[in-house]
Amino acid sequence: MNIEEKIQRTLAELGADNAEIVQALFAEVRAAMEAERQGLISGGAANDAERQKACRALRDRWLARKNGIISAIDEHWLKPSPRELKPLVGRAFNELRQAGAELEVSQLASGVPIKPDHRSAAQAGEATQVQPASADPVAAPDLTLPGAHRALGSLHPVTQVLREIEGIFLELGYRTETGPEIESVYYNFDALNIPETHPARDDWDTLYVKLPGSKDNAAVLRTHTSPVQIRAMEKYGAPLYLIVPGKVYRHDNPDASHATMFHQVEGLAVDRDISFADLKGTLDFFVKKFFGSGTRTRFQPSFFPFTEPSAEMAVSCWACGGKGCGVCKQSGWVEIMGCGMVHPFVLKNGGINPKRYSGWAFGFGADRMAMIRYGVTDIQLFYQSDVRFLEQF
Amino acid sequence: MKISLNMLREFVSAPADVKRLASDLTRIGVNVESVREQEDDWILDIEVTSNRPDCLSHLGVAREAAAFYRKALRMPGAHLAESDIRAKDAVGIAIADTDLCRRYCGRVVEGVHVGPSPDWLRRRLEALGVRSINNVADVTNYALMELGHPLHAFDLDCIRQHRIIVRRAKPGEKLGTLDGVDRTLEADQLVIADAERAVALAGIMGGEESEISNSTRRVLLESAWFAPASIRRTAKKLGMRTEASYRFERGADIEMAPVALDRAAALIAELAGGEILRGSLDVYPGKKSRAAIELRETEIRRILGSALLAGKVERLLPALGFRVTRRGKTAWRVTPPSFRPDVSGEVDLVEEVARHYGYDRLPSRLRSAPPSIERDSRRAKESELTAGLVAIGFREIIPPAMVDPEENARFTAQPPVAIENPLSQEASAMRSSAMPSMVAALARNLDRGRHDLAFFEIGKVYTPWPNMPASSGPSAGLASLRHSETLADERRVLALGLTGSTGSAGVHDKPRELGFFDLKGHIETLLGVFDIRPLRFESLAARPYEPNLAGRFLHGNEALAEFGELRQALAAQYKLRQRVWLAEIYLDALMRHPLRPRVFRAFSKFPSAERDFSLLVPEEVTYEHLDQMIQGLARNEIRGYGPVERLPEGKIEKGYYSLLLRVTFQSAERTLTSEEVSDASRELISALAELGVRLRA
Repeated sequence: MNIEEKIQRTLAELGADNAEIVQALFAEVRAAMEAERQGLISGGAANDAERQKACRALRDRWLARKNGIISAIDEHWLKPSPRELKPLVGRAFNELRQAGAELEVSQLASGVPIKPDHRSAAQAGEATQVQPASADPVAAPDLTLPGAHRALGSLHPVTQVLREIEGIFLELGYRTETGPEIESVYYNFDALNIPETHPARDDWDTLYVKLPGSKDNAAVLRTHTSPVQIRAMEKYGAPLYLIVPGKVYRHDNPDASHATMFHQVEGLAVDRDISFADLKGTLDFFVKKFFGSGTRTRFQPSFFPFTEPSAEMAVSCWACGGKGCGVCKQSGWVEIMGCGMVHPFVLKNGGINPKRYSGWAFGFGADRMAMIRYGVTDIQLFYQSDVRFLEQF
Repeated sequence: MKISLNMLREFVSAPADVKRLASDLTRIGVNVESVREQEDDWILDIEVTSNRPDCLSHLGVAREAAAFYRKALRMPGAHLAESDIRAKDAVGIAIADTDLCRRYCGRVVEGVHVGPSPDWLRRRLEALGVRSINNVADVTNYALMELGHPLHAFDLDCIRQHRIIVRRAKPGEKLGTLDGVDRTLEADQLVIADAERAVALAGIMGGEESEISNSTRRVLLESAWFAPASIRRTAKKLGMRTEASYRFERGADIEMAPVALDRAAALIAELAGGEILRGSLDVYPGKKSRAAIELRETEIRRILGSALLAGKVERLLPALGFRVTRRGKTAWRVTPPSFRPDVSGEVDLVEEVARHYGYDRLPSRLRSAPPSIERDSRRAKESELTAGLVAIGFREIIPPAMVDPEENARFTAQPPVAIENPLSQEASAMRSSAMPSMVAALARNLDRGRHDLAFFEIGKVYTPWPNMPASSGPSAGLASLRHSETLADERRVLALGLTGSTGSAGVHDKPRELGFFDLKGHIETLLGVFDIRPLRFESLAARPYEPNLAGRFLHGNEALAEFGELRQALAAQYKLRQRVWLAEIYLDALMRHPLRPRVFRAFSKFPSAERDFSLLVPEEVTYEHLDQMIQGLARNEIRGYGPVERLPEGKIEKGYYSLLLRVTFQSAERTLTSEEVSDASRELISALAELGVRLRA
């Protein structure tokens, strides 16, 4: 006999003639109510509207004046109960009604109690699954289906390489510095010992910008990160250990190895007794970290107006280890950066006494490093924002 | 610069192995880019840096090789059979502007027969990439390749009154140059003139009217020195670049002028016949002796980290043409030769020694910066921010910062920074909004059939300073800028672009189209990395965004982020067939806020109770109103709350919308009784009632 049937009969009809049986009956009803309430909480309502509807149904089933379970109990159990059992039945009934009021009160005044304990609906669901009572075997899903993914985004390959490079120098105690991209001709050229009258100026294909109130050819898109050398010297003085990552611009027609906008990393160390030996040692450390501990370096004389002596640094080919291959054009070496001892003229322009301090500096294209690191063959790919490219990093 | 091995061997005994020669030269800074065999010769292609005009010749490269291999340097002979007629009776030379022309040498060869050059000369020139013209012109070019000094040959009979005057052009003066162009000159451009008119553009190109032709009988050979800056300015202005101007603007060797002249005169007499008139005209008003430079052993050690090299000074520098005298035990006085304009200071001498010694033989030492207790908070902030972006699925892009200004104007009223010499109209300004590049990136991928996209960019936007004083002497003013000043207003922004659905369709999830609140949520998440109090939201009407679907976050009156749906009219211009969500987060402002502090606060060990309230809210009441009202209650029992469902206006009751509010009650001190929860609930409801909010029956 289920509860619906039981509440349609009197206690006498149910054979409840002592306190024990009466209490058991009420306990059964309480348990049913609690189970239904729990069922509502953990039940699979698709949305809150549906849950709300279920709440209302539950309330009506138990608390409705007409045909509600509680009023049926009042009608069939309490009212006709024998006198000797009445106090007991009355007390049990009141408790039941109070418990039932939870349903009513919660819905209308205190909100719907959705989680009486701290278990989430899912946890509650799991708990019922492990109960032997509800141990219906779950239909086995195809566990070989791929998982439900939440895709991660990604950092741009150039950013990843820049971070790695920065990290290596941060390890050596260098600080990161940045500077403006729209730069004066003074900082971009003149202060770096590249006067307009010298042909070296032509080594940088320059994009000039027009600013209100300024003459033609007075402001440029910086052609390299080197102006930050001067700016930083002015700002901090010596000693100075810097790394300057940033965008630079050239009046270059785009092709597989040239971009109008690209990234450079500048390094600068100014201190007492900084020598070419520090340049070699530091860059050797850097390339071993970046390309692998077996990497060797080669320094050859070169010319940059802002360094003296100037050098071009090559590393032993990472592809063939120096034996000669397509990557290094059979030479075993790949040139990756320009470097040198900071020219005294440049130190002076930065407000640093070249007699007391010396320094070394380097600069290279970060895009090129990223191309090397990831095997990218066309620099344009970095700037085309193509997901098919970006998602590979 | 192309170097013929055969020609080089006339100057120095170079090693037989050309590969070894190439790698040795490269090691000392004469960068051999390629080596190729040509007939019975080898051609070395040398990249000569702009500081080394001396290496733009076989002589200069030979000098480097001679110093490296410790061999003697041989100069080509100039066998001059002069006639009895004096050259100075045949032509007069005067330099009017001695600041631009420090030396002018000339010789006259009479009775030449202009014609094709002999085979050997033609072949040599062609191997070096020089077109053969006629025997006279070819000789001047050959001497140039050998010795590096530009020469010019005039038809003396076309020089009026046989007078050469080196002077600045008269404003508007005309000259037809050898390339067939009629040029109008300016007053600061140096010309070679005769008694009446300009006959050559000094150091750059000769004039048509005095060109050597087959009828030329008398040749005037010019070998001069012109001021580099002037040649460079004129050549740039006129858009001309010749073998001569290339060398003069780098600095020719003033002492080479008469040597090259004699060499060429002798060759012309040999190949074209004729007689060399007696004497060389040499007008040399600008003779200067070069200052000696002190070179100290201590400086060599300071710059190179090794004193070993000091021993090399007295052998190496003289081999490279420097005059060296010892000063005490540890210093020298060094006078650089006339062909080395690049050497002017002690450190230049240090480099000379170092490069010939070999950079690879110099010591190496790893030195770290002194440790610093300073923390780079900018870096920490940026890495937290980007970690968040990657975690919520955004991919970083780095689009070009150059845009079409018209396109830029569709997105912002801020003017961009114009580029004076752009490569194209599409890249002719530095953007003042990150939106055009972002939309272009989205459009590009949508065109390729990728429909779910989430991009971010950390980059700059650029706009001129609003009140850059027009009067402040521009280039001088810009030169005096200090480090902290920038020429334009450059701001860092974080741009977001979002389109498509919450994920691609799969067996597990049903994707849903992204909307305003997806974007807003992302921005709240990102701003949540920082401690920004109070953070305020307001709706926004701005150019790129659809009205009613844009908003911004502010701290005080400072906007931290603006975002919304790309205006559909704009989307149509990009032929976008789906809704696009954009945001600009102002990093300079955001980075001024500290990161969200990590401070532990004990949580309650007592159970919490959650209650849902189904509310009927008047249309004009926003969630923000409810939010402020509940916060105003300051009831400790209310631990948290949030909207879980919203049904639109009118559906339930006219003038109202329905909102399901979920509230969590909890106390730090005890388990709340149901009466306490009910009390707090009643208070909540009656507070909301002040806004006209009712509980749904």
